[in-house]
Amino acid sequence: MTDYTYLKRLFQAYYKKIKPNIPVVNSFEQREFGFIPWDKHIMIRHLSFKTSEYLLKDLIQTGHRHVYSSGSLYLQPDNSDMNKKQYIGCDLIIDIDVDHFYTPCKDNHDRWYCKECGESGNGMPSKCPKCKKTKFNTLNWICDDCLKTAKQEIIKLVYEFLIPDFGIRESDIKVAFSGHRGYHLKVENEKIRKLTSEARREIVDYVTGENISFEILGLREVGTNIYGLTKRNMDWSQKIVTKIEDILNSYSDIQLERLLLKFGLKRHIITSFLNSKDEFIDTISKNRNLWIIPNFGIATWKSFLYGIVHEIGAEIDEPVTIDIHRLIRYPGSLHGATGFKVQELGLNELNSFNPLNENNEKLDPIVFKSKNLQKIEILEPFVPSTKIAGDVFGPFKKGDKIEVPHHIAVFLLCKGVAKTL
Amino acid sequence: MEIHTELIYHYPWLPSLNSVLSSISSQDPLEFIKKTFETYPFLEIRERLLRLFRAAFENLEQIIEYQADKLNVHCYLILKILLYILDNRAITNRIANLYSKIAYNELINEGDAYIYDIFMDLNLDIKYYNIPIQYGINITKDQEEILQTNFRIYVFDYLKLTASLRDEYRRLVNNSLSDGYVFIQKRNLIRLLQEYVRQKLIIKQEEDKATLDNFKNEILKLEKFKEIYDIISSEWSLKEEEFEYTFEMDFKSGKELSGSYPPCVKSTLKKAQEGQNLTHTERLYIVWFLNSLNYPEDKIVNIFSTLPDFNREKTTYQVRYAKKKGYIPYSCQSLKSYNLCMAKKYKDELCLEGYFSRKYDAQREIKHPLSYVRIKQYRTSHKQKNSDKQIN
Repeated sequence: MTDYTYLKRLFQAYYKKIKPNIPVVNSFEQREFGFIPWDKHIMIRHLSFKTSEYLLKDLIQTGHRHVYSSGSLYLQPDNSDMNKKQYIGCDLIIDIDVDHFYTPCKDNHDRWYCKECGESGNGMPSKCPKCKKTKFNTLNWICDDCLKTAKQEIIKLVYEFLIPDFGIRESDIKVAFSGHRGYHLKVENEKIRKLTSEARREIVDYVTGENISFEILGLREVGTNIYGLTKRNMDWSQKIVTKIEDILNSYSDIQLERLLLKFGLKRHIITSFLNSKDEFIDTISKNRNLWIIPNFGIATWKSFLYGIVHEIGAEIDEPVTIDIHRLIRYPGSLHGATGFKVQELGLNELNSFNPLNENNEKLDPIVFKSKNLQKIEILEPFVPSTKIAGDVFGPFKKGDKIEVPHHIAVFLLCKGVAKTL
Repeated sequence: MEIHTELIYHYPWLPSLNSVLSSISSQDPLEFIKKTFETYPFLEIRERLLRLFRAAFENLEQIIEYQADKLNVHCYLILKILLYILDNRAITNRIANLYSKIAYNELINEGDAYIYDIFMDLNLDIKYYNIPIQYGINITKDQEEILQTNFRIYVFDYLKLTASLRDEYRRLVNNSLSDGYVFIQKRNLIRLLQEYVRQKLIIKQEEDKATLDNFKNEILKLEKFKEIYDIISSEWSLKEEEFEYTFEMDFKSGKELSGSYPPCVKSTLKKAQEGQNLTHTERLYIVWFLNSLNYPEDKIVNIFSTLPDFNREKTTYQVRYAKKKGYIPYSCQSLKSYNLCMAKKYKDELCLEGYFSRKYDAQREIKHPLSYVRIKQYRTSHKQKNSDKQIN
């Protein structure tokens, strides 16, 4: 039996065990479904099911590696011609995945191999330090830290944008742990369903701060003076100035220096900023907008403000939100790259949720948890350590023959870095 | 909510037309036109409709004597029937642009209560405040300008109405938003209504030509109606010739490059030619693209003259500013992210398959629309040289 057949049977057994308790997305029969099987890397799309019982029956038979359903509703979800599907509308889907942004822990656990020159290393480089090419093979890992960052981004998105600004009701928001490196958020609201891709792009821009115009918000140069933003404006200005205040009041000079370097400011400009910091705090806290810092011209202010905007905005995977025909992982299904469950969460459960060490059994995405040991052999040159439920396994190297608990074995097999013995 | 009949006379595109004046709107089109011609003076109907079409053909932004009476409702419905059977996108867009501008000019003089009623009738969620609410301040030197408004609009209705308007100041990220409502000045709110009216008149062209022809044959049996239709058709055919000639001239002046444009440019220019609205991104792309090819400023500005919100002064400034800044057009990757890439739609071989590079001895992708033009030009000149050689 191949490892894929083994994993497929495990997945089949899981679906059999949970029957009939798989979450049912609303307007179930109008959703398109898609699957990726174990033996081929193809997406089988344009399927639909009358009820969740039929879906589960199919999953018990197939044990598919990945299971998806559409954010969109169609009158004919199973029609393979997109033009004949008869699109009704689409929920607002937001995906936060640590694949798309940097976290410091990646320097410890993410591995890259340059496709061009074979150089390798840890982290998330934009180009190969040796040959400067940009195509890599990667081995991305997960840890408590990056999943916590992803969770914080979802919390930021909900409590700093969706609820206070967009006025979305908590009851309309559905959140799920993706089963791997992030979270999905879905907003179900009749008016949102009718929005075009272009309108969705506007929502993306709003929650990320992309395409912001500081000039429209009030930044301008009059003679030698620069007039900045003020909290009294109920737009992004308020977020920006409040964030500046928070940073200036809580960061040490060293932390501030690091942040401003990250924003791309030069050292002498940063020194100037630090020297004028107190006066600047005084200016913005009194809602004055004549911003005076030596060496700060309009271009420097813009670089500074873009940096602040980036700190405020949510790190979302933009194309997912804009694309109205995208399929997303089905809640309650298993993620074929980890063996973890796509776990739906209430907003009140989000804060304490810890996917790699969850105390609430009902929310625990690690469904194959067991103390039974299983023998496997490592196939990759380097496999980072994995910490699940407080226990650390690894790091491992190619050829290591190890005995690990069943759920760790499933995780490493799904990741494709090990084989059964 | 019952809406004043006067408002429907004034703005016959309001949904309440169907309930308040159901005797008119629910009639069979043939019966409706017959009865209208029996009830109202034909010359008056003809005059009102032709005034509208002639102004649209001349690219005017207003008509004199907009009469908000019951006949106005009849004329609006006949106008829609005419647009349907004319089945001409350029005419429809021009009429939609003009009619929406008329609506704007009328609405801007309405009191707040009527504006509120109109939004309610359109099932668009707005909030009205008797006492204006402050949402910001403009401070320069010692001068403070309080930003306040009586209106807020539900964010998803705002997005729906601004979907095809992409001015920077309308972008959600540059606006004040809280609790699901965007703070908006009355003038801007009415501009959104203008766009609603424009969209409302842009009737989807009938795909089933047999249905259209049958209907057209039937309705043109009404002599008076046919008379109006014929006048419009013949006046348009003269205009169209002039219009297309100008268009050709615009794009073929200077270097002979128009045949080398990538499909994304051709498609956007076609939309402009038809008077369809262009998104902000499309406008920037065209300006930057044509500026990069050194097109004359006035010719670039003229391309935008058919757009619903055309303002020559503003457009000239923006074209000039972009030129000064030396902006280059978006790369193919960016165009794809903006959904502007038309390679697949037009099945363009060069876009889809790339070209063979002798330098790299390999097939290379087209990564930039200007590379597309360069390669097309190279191919054309090479082809020319080869054919010259053969002749010699």
